[in-house]
Amino acid sequence: MEDKQITEKESLLIIQQMIHTAKNEQKDDGKAWILWGWFLFAASILTYFNMEYDWFSTFFFWNLFGAFSIIALVYTAVRSFFTKGSARVKTYTGDLLGKLNVGFFLTLILIIVAINVGVRTPEVTMTPTKGFSLMIGLYAFWVLIYGTALNFRPSIIASFVMWGIAFVCLFINDFQWIMVLHALAVLAGYIIPGHMANREFKKVNRAIL
Amino acid sequence: MFKDLDPILHSQLRLAVMSLLISVKEAEFTFLKEKTAATAGNLSVQVQKLKEAGYIEVTKQFKDNYPQTTCKITPKGIEAFEQYVKTLQQYIGGERGD
Repeated sequence: MEDKQITEKESLLIIQQMIHTAKNEQKDDGKAWILWGWFLFAASILTYFNMEYDWFSTFFFWNLFGAFSIIALVYTAVRSFFTKGSARVKTYTGDLLGKLNVGFFLTLILIIVAINVGVRTPEVTMTPTKGFSLMIGLYAFWVLIYGTALNFRPSIIASFVMWGIAFVCLFINDFQWIMVLHALAVLAGYIIPGHMANREFKKVNRAIL
Repeated sequence: MFKDLDPILHSQLRLAVMSLLISVKEAEFTFLKEKTAATAGNLSVQVQKLKEAGYIEVTKQFKDNYPQTTCKITPKGIEAFEQYVKTLQQYIGGERGD
């Protein structure tokens, strides 16, 4: 591109092209959704079979998942500390989603602690079944904001599916069924939209190349 | 009667830089260079012109011993860009009406 005079139509074309280019920078590759989604899905389904065949203690796979999550969280925090400011472009959407992630994980930890406190307290305040319903509701909230900020319709639709599942979970007391519904919610809200976002991301990048 | 198009913005490369910066919070010089496919020297001159007009802020710092230049659009730049687009719409609308 040179510094030359242009016609009005060329001006409009440049504006459109550049705004489109900048927008593509904000596209999510969906990899985090896919990874996080499949881990949650596996933990739910394995917990279902664990309860069915009595392999280990009920929350064995969730504790395993928790340990993996803590390692991943520490790794991400250390990595982001050392690569601070490495992004070549900063967007307002990126800032918003960064803060949303912090809020999401802090609330998630709060619910997990509430479930654990509830399990250990004689006058139970939060049962795991109700806790998982709240967690699915929180996932839905996250997915809705993400979908809206990135203008990604599958996530917006998925968030309402997740809220529907969260509502159904409120009336189910069998933890095995809660695990099945949790897996379904994760499949609908994270895994499927994640793969769709990844496919779209690859398509856009191929078009640019 | 149409307004004149802002001469600072009515240039291929400067307009491209402003269009990129209006869509993001801030961007590195290397990002602008890659997306506009301009040479570093030419881009540097045009960025300087936009800075002198008060349309963008340019921050220079060192990151890992390498110089890093970051550009950010100013409120004056946003206003000028919006005015430019409005005038452009008038021109194109007038052309269609002819």
